[in-house]
Amino acid sequence: MTDSSKTAKKTEGIQRRFFFKKTSSALIFGGALAYGLGSSFLLEGREKRLRPPGALEEDLFLASCIKCGQCLQVCPPQVILLAGLADGNGIGTPFIVPRDGGCILCKGLPCVLACPTGALDHHISEGSEAEMGITVLSHPETCLARSGTNDIIHQMQTLLEKESSGTTSPSRKVRRQWNRVMIRLVDRLEPEESRNLAARFKVREAGLGALLEHLKGLDHDQKKSLLDFARTTKQAGTGCRICLDECPIRELQPIRFEKEDHPSNRGYLPVVNQTCVGCGVCEERCPTEDASIEVIPRKKWKPRKT
Amino acid sequence: MEAPKNMKIESGKIPELENLNSETDQRVLPVKSGTSKRKRPPRRPKGPGLRVESILENPHPHKWRWIRWSFLLSTNFLFFASFYFDIQILEGTLSGSRLLGFHLADPFASFQVMLASRVFNINLIIGLLTILVIYLLLGGRFFCSWVCPYHFLAELGESIHKRLIRKKIIQRNHTFDQRFKYGFYLFFLVLSGFSGYTVFEIINPVSALSRAIVYGPGLVLIWVFAILAFEVFYSRRAWCRYFCPVGVSYNLIGRIAPFKIRWNVNKCSNCKKCQAACMVPWVLKDTVNQGKSEYVISGDCTRCGLCIDACQDAALQYHVRYLDKLI
Repeated sequence: MTDSSKTAKKTEGIQRRFFFKKTSSALIFGGALAYGLGSSFLLEGREKRLRPPGALEEDLFLASCIKCGQCLQVCPPQVILLAGLADGNGIGTPFIVPRDGGCILCKGLPCVLACPTGALDHHISEGSEAEMGITVLSHPETCLARSGTNDIIHQMQTLLEKESSGTTSPSRKVRRQWNRVMIRLVDRLEPEESRNLAARFKVREAGLGALLEHLKGLDHDQKKSLLDFARTTKQAGTGCRICLDECPIRELQPIRFEKEDHPSNRGYLPVVNQTCVGCGVCEERCPTEDASIEVIPRKKWKPRKT
Repeated sequence: MEAPKNMKIESGKIPELENLNSETDQRVLPVKSGTSKRKRPPRRPKGPGLRVESILENPHPHKWRWIRWSFLLSTNFLFFASFYFDIQILEGTLSGSRLLGFHLADPFASFQVMLASRVFNINLIIGLLTILVIYLLLGGRFFCSWVCPYHFLAELGESIHKRLIRKKIIQRNHTFDQRFKYGFYLFFLVLSGFSGYTVFEIINPVSALSRAIVYGPGLVLIWVFAILAFEVFYSRRAWCRYFCPVGVSYNLIGRIAPFKIRWNVNKCSNCKKCQAACMVPWVLKDTVNQGKSEYVISGDCTRCGLCIDACQDAALQYHVRYLDKLI
């Protein structure tokens, strides 16, 4: 092989390599271009999620959020979550799942103060000014306030049903729920009622601690008798009011209870007032299996509040 | 007998160095006392480091690397600790944070947010300016090698890549045009302006990794490790060298930043070990190869200090430019 043919072959190789380099670069650049254009339009218009208080309109919020997560860092009840890849719209943006934990509208709204870009608007300074969503009674048929059932008795009933349907001993979750209901029951007893309870289960002291200690180790029949006892107490007469009791702005009366006209309903229908900001605590605390009261995220009252 | 062996390994590592500019090399090479002056140019060494002096080693060969790694890890630990242990020194993530309560914001992310939302929030501007001033003092892409957690992963990936090439598992390293990142930068800025959404933040591995460190891992890490795998098996350090637009903002600041690496021509024995050590192949070209400037002027210099560690002559040092003029 001559010298010139060698160099010719060499340059050809270089040229080919140069060509590959250019094509592969162009391919990667083109891919990124297509991805960027596609994703910016495809990701629009997904299901809306509850955002922290003070969030701007959804489009503007997505544009201004820098995805730093500082709102999540300062959140005292730690209910703010960051969207991941699987959550679709807006990776790294904060959102709240009300059933897992609603926003308690802390004093001073630390999440709003922490936001570096104003995606959570600094114009609101109090939780009552927020417009996170609108609460609706999504399942009135299961609502305990409407059927006039007390939540403690309702929960004891459902737990007992669960226990009797299963052949094995109750699961740890059921036992823990039972203990929680027990504490609420004993805590709300009148002095005379707790003495009756102590007499019924032969506990020497009628104190809270002693009663709870004893009630922990009940078997199935004893639990049934406890339910019978609970039905005789004073609080069994009052219906569930948890959504209002747990509301962080309950002094503004975001929920009122109205007597229904229909004679078959013993209880009261919870009606949401315009002072509700949609924080989602009622949805979190609702004692029914699926929350009867739910928040529609990002929806606002019409006409808008000042 | 040992010396030439060493040399061979050294020259095998860096095939790019063989097409050096011979003219400048001659200028740089010190003229030996025994030879007659300027009659005959000094013998051109075949590979880098074929001189006796080159056998010398820097007494602290990994000093700056360890300092840098510990700085990087402790910075990211502070981010982690802000949430996990509630230690409020450095809160947030790399896209936006607070240092002792003062806002900091990543320039590229801030530009995207401003273009997408068309709102100029005062806190964001304060955070942006603070970061610009900080990196003007520290030196531009200082961010990359001293702060960015992805850089740390990529450094490990780079060493794996080199090992794979040495064992001939991978045939060769693929390169792209380094100007791509500027195109990316403009492209994503324009895109965020048009789409009204910070599009790049979907694929940003830096902020994704930073969020994963602070708030726990998520599915986004798959994408981060996909980029890393691309770097390990196909193109060495591809993201940082050719694509990362986050680094471009720091690149632009770094060009005018006075904190630079200074090259002392008189001390340099032209062994080119610094080029072998440097993580970005074109950074030292203007300085050590072509002698255009006394300082490493490339915007892509991350002030990582690997060249300083590699230099046996103490010819490369951190230096603040214009400092002597001020005093």
